Amino acid sequence: MSGSKPDILWSPHHPDRYVICDSELGLYRIGPVGSAEAKAGTLPLSEETAATLLAINSDTPYMKCVAWYPKHEPECLLAVGQANGRVVLTSLGQSHNSACKELVGKEFVPKHARQCNTLAWNPVDSNLLAAGLDKHRADFSVLIWDISSKLSPETSVAAEKIRLSSVDLDSSTVVTKPLYELGQNDACLSLCWLLRDPKLLLAGMHRNLAIFDLRNTSQKTFVNTKAIQGVTVDPHFHDRVASFFEGQVAIWDLRKFEKPVLTLTEQPKPLTKVAWCPTRTGLLATLTRDSNIIRLYDMQHTPTPIGDETEPTIIERSVQPCESQIGSFAWHPSSQNRMVVVSATNRVMTDFTVFERISLAWSSTTSLMWACGRHLYECVEDSAEGVESMIEKDIATKMRERAQSRYGHDTVQVWRNHLLAGGKDAQLKSLWHDLFYILSVSHMKQCAEDMELKLQGNVQSVVYSGIKNIVKTTSGTTESRRCWIGSDRQTDVLRYHSEERCLALRLCGWISRGTDTDVENFLRSLEQEHEWERAAAVALFNLDIRRAIQILNKGAMAEKGDLNLNVVAMALSGYTDEKSSLWREMCSSLRLQLKNPYLCIMFAFLTSEPGAYDGVLYESSVAVRDRVAFACMFLNDAQLPRYIDRLTLEMKEAGNLEGILLTGLTKDGVDLMESYVDRTGDVQTASFCMLKGSPGEVLKDPRVQCWIENYRNLLDAWRFWHKRAEFDIHRGKLDPSSKPLAQVFVSCNFCGKSISYSCSTIPHQGRGFSQYGVSGSPTKSKVTSCPGCRKPLPRCALCLMNMGTPVSNCQGTGKSDEKVDLTRENKLAQFNNWFTWCHNCRHGGHAGHMLSWFRDHTECPVSACTCKCMQLDTTGNLVPSDSS
Amino acid sequence: MFVARSIAADHKDLIHDVSYDFHGRRMATCSSDQSVKVWDKSENGEWHCTASWKTHSGSVWRVTWAHPEFGQVLASCSFDRTAAVWEEIVGESNDKQRGLSHWIKRTTLVDSRTSVTDVKFAPKHMGLMLTTCSADGVVRIYEAPDVMNLSQWSLQHEISCKLSCSCISWNPSSSRAHPPMFAVGSDDSNVTYGGKVQIYEYNENTRKYGKAETLMTVTDAVHDIAFAPNLGRSFHVLAIATKDVRIFKLVPMRKESTSTGPTKFEVQIVAQFDNHNSQVWRVSWNITSTLLASSGDDGCVRLWKANYMDNWKCTGILKGDGSPLTGSSGQPSAMSTVLGSSVQSSQNALNGMSAGSCLLTSVLDSH
Repeated sequence: MSGSKPDILWSPHHPDRYVICDSELGLYRIGPVGSAEAKAGTLPLSEETAATLLAINSDTPYMKCVAWYPKHEPECLLAVGQANGRVVLTSLGQSHNSACKELVGKEFVPKHARQCNTLAWNPVDSNLLAAGLDKHRADFSVLIWDISSKLSPETSVAAEKIRLSSVDLDSSTVVTKPLYELGQNDACLSLCWLLRDPKLLLAGMHRNLAIFDLRNTSQKTFVNTKAIQGVTVDPHFHDRVASFFEGQVAIWDLRKFEKPVLTLTEQPKPLTKVAWCPTRTGLLATLTRDSNIIRLYDMQHTPTPIGDETEPTIIERSVQPCESQIGSFAWHPSSQNRMVVVSATNRVMTDFTVFERISLAWSSTTSLMWACGRHLYECVEDSAEGVESMIEKDIATKMRERAQSRYGHDTVQVWRNHLLAGGKDAQLKSLWHDLFYILSVSHMKQCAEDMELKLQGNVQSVVYSGIKNIVKTTSGTTESRRCWIGSDRQTDVLRYHSEERCLALRLCGWISRGTDTDVENFLRSLEQEHEWERAAAVALFNLDIRRAIQILNKGAMAEKGDLNLNVVAMALSGYTDEKSSLWREMCSSLRLQLKNPYLCIMFAFLTSEPGAYDGVLYESSVAVRDRVAFACMFLNDAQLPRYIDRLTLEMKEAGNLEGILLTGLTKDGVDLMESYVDRTGDVQTASFCMLKGSPGEVLKDPRVQCWIENYRNLLDAWRFWHKRAEFDIHRGKLDPSSKPLAQVFVSCNFCGKSISYSCSTIPHQGRGFSQYGVSGSPTKSKVTSCPGCRKPLPRCALCLMNMGTPVSNCQGTGKSDEKVDLTRENKLAQFNNWFTWCHNCRHGGHAGHMLSWFRDHTECPVSACTCKCMQLDTTGNLVPSDSS
Repeated sequence: MFVARSIAADHKDLIHDVSYDFHGRRMATCSSDQSVKVWDKSENGEWHCTASWKTHSGSVWRVTWAHPEFGQVLASCSFDRTAAVWEEIVGESNDKQRGLSHWIKRTTLVDSRTSVTDVKFAPKHMGLMLTTCSADGVVRIYEAPDVMNLSQWSLQHEISCKLSCSCISWNPSSSRAHPPMFAVGSDDSNVTYGGKVQIYEYNENTRKYGKAETLMTVTDAVHDIAFAPNLGRSFHVLAIATKDVRIFKLVPMRKESTSTGPTKFEVQIVAQFDNHNSQVWRVSWNITSTLLASSGDDGCVRLWKANYMDNWKCTGILKGDGSPLTGSSGQPSAMSTVLGSSVQSSQNALNGMSAGSCLLTSVLDSH
């Protein structure tokens, strides 16, 4: 170790201790950050862990390599290899027991001084310490020392050496006679003991990898290669060894040592460290010089010596534990995939865990499953109430809940559907009210038409086409200048009337019937819903200041003295139409500070010039229906279509459902709904809404068909099969073309004709089983024979009666509770009469008999038939999740 | 709010893929231990492994379910250069009692010369079709002409993508307005090879798949790709796991009726997040494509959601081991709200997004 390049060693036995060695040895303990033990002077390693410096040892200069004694006792015994080839035993920290004291300070000195490159303790026979040295003429380069050896008897030789060495040593601690001398006339750069046999030592020599056997030191197995640095054995696979040269890592299989089984892609810079992960099979970490990333090779395949043709799978990954350049790293011996990294300079340390690649998947019911390593985790959306207010539920969850609350199915009080949707969504509220008004107006018109013998042509389609098309065809508009109600002061406000405008107001919900100025019903309903501001605004726009003030007062009372409403009422009462009055001036400046948009537009209306109502018309927080109604009252024939067109475009672009009022259920409406679906994914609302439209144009639109199909698919995926069936029934009523054809016919064995009296009997979907509804047949007559040829129908496999015979309860089962169940459930009893059969073996019988048979059996009741009828269809075993 | 719990998986090596069936009641996992496991959810919500068998002679990369209308069918692909189709058959009665099911191999698809990296069934309206992609850069589309006989598969299309393929995703849209389309991602890490995501579209006239688009801005290795469920939207959304999470929108341009070439798309990048620090491994959409989950090198699962302005935000972080994520406050708790600070620094400023508050919750079930 030159002073600049640090290295890390984990303690073999203390999972929380490691040593950093650069110019000195530093022992650290790692612990959770902020724990009681943590004191000043701890170094943060990660968000959760910190290290404390326990001891420093700077007794051994010129360190080149360090190795930690592998056995428990003595702990903290380290061997240090020095630049002059000496190996010194040293220790860190306190508590030296006697064995340790004896060893610490011991020196092992080679014959000729040269750099010690590597050290390796034998993992089993821990007295043996192998040292790899540079080449010195014909001398040996691998020396194996026995640390327990008594001090050398030849002190004279040692004394000789002492003179050569720079440090004055106590000769009594010097050992000069190695146990084994290997690798003559060579250099050794890396060493490791083989785990499969502790007598074998693998050495990276000058130009080859050599395996020495201590039982026969004259022989060695070797292979010529350049990749001789950093030899290391895979702890999980004892025949696998990695070594490197420059930027290339070679993986060897000791069973076929001739050539590397694999060389990893070359890296641009020379490697400095290669290490197998001790906690995970086949994970190799590599580090190159001047780099801040650690490259990991995940070898997924266990190598086999014969399987030449399959190369192992390698997943390459790079991780960046810290920002600075990495000096060295060390895997934690037991913590999963964890390592400590030390920076090249300043000894900055980082605790880092390499995460496994997580694979994940969403289920159709919004639960998330992921796999991390070998473990599975499931994560479900928790329905805890407290948090819901903070985060809006996902539309998938909303649609599921709405489907269960029968959203969209209220066809009489259509507006109630927004309550079924939860009643919180303003756009849905507006949409369903729009649809309600459209439907009720068209219904009324139809009734009127019937009476007036259809004087008007196709009012219905006009109604469906929305206000945008209604106001396009204005004719016979009249103007009126009216007084403020309750005063004879003339206003200069022009109000416009026409049949179309009146219709539009009805669609907006402002008027229901009667004259187009009678909004009293509407005001009362608003008061009931405590929409005081809105009611006041509507009253004001109908030029009834007194009523507006009255509403506000009522509101202030109901809201327990809402000062705001009272103040507004007071301000209203001071209205003057004088152009330059102080009232006007103050109102137009202060109105912008009013929080409620309706209060705001009231003053905008009062202070604006006649015919220029931008303050009302473009106040976007006011409901579209109110703005449109206002426009229909106060904009002239030129302004009105322009305003409506502009608003329609705005709504379409935003996908705002309030705009359905303008577009109606036309192609325009589909466009608007398209951008709503694009934005929200709410195909449920889109499907139900468009089903209300006229079947001719709208339902034929491929987009609408696509939404409906997608919604049905969602219901199927959620196993809301009953809801899907109900939806189909609902759809069939409104769009008869969507009704599916009958799927199954039963033909007579003898004459080949269908045994049904009518082809329109209830069809039934199903993969494995089909039924023929005997009791449901239209003529209600008993059928035990073919209607065509009068031959008897097949017999039930269990009761042996001909089909069509009323079912009797099985006596054999003797389950009394079952009988009770059947008699109570009248519907079920009818189902018991159905004839069912297995498509596979074509045996069958009464549904009730079959069900009770398969409750106890898996095979078909017909003799010698081994068909497992009941298990053929897995989907059939799934229970719908919406059955009540 | 999401709560995590652990399930004893009992795989002997890394799990590479998890896949739900159409109804979310069954699940399949595959692993480096060369096996596939099938799990069934009981009525009380517990998962039980009902089948586990050795499927390949190498790591199994991916497993996927066919639509249930084709029966209970799985496909798997492996490093052993093959893909396989499995069907569940009615087991012995005692198997059923023990809660086990039996799966048999219907076919092995051996056309690839290299590791098969992904396998996906085409949307069901196209029939029973299976697509594989492999490390040699070939996408293969197989068809079972007779859905009752799953041992017959014919190789219909072989498309060379030139780059080593890592993942494939079908556009799930069933709208007639959208011809069949899939996207394929490459894990080639050489940025000079250009776009790593290619989109292919079926041409009715030539009866071949042609390249419709290459996402030139994605130059780093792509690990996963996922088309969002279309749900009748007028555009397609594609999530990409590369060195960050990216969400692309593909808006089909109005096509003149005379033109016969592939659909032209207006490609918009909607979001880009580098919160995972370095590589992102997987992306997955929920059923309405309103929630995206991603996993990455930071060992976390992140959830993303768009607001009504189409601005995507992180709405949840869960640690890979299901344990609570401890923020800098260092107070691990079952439920805690971490304000943006820890995530905000790396939040991409694209579209002026702000990290906002990330609600994160995760509870480790002492399972």
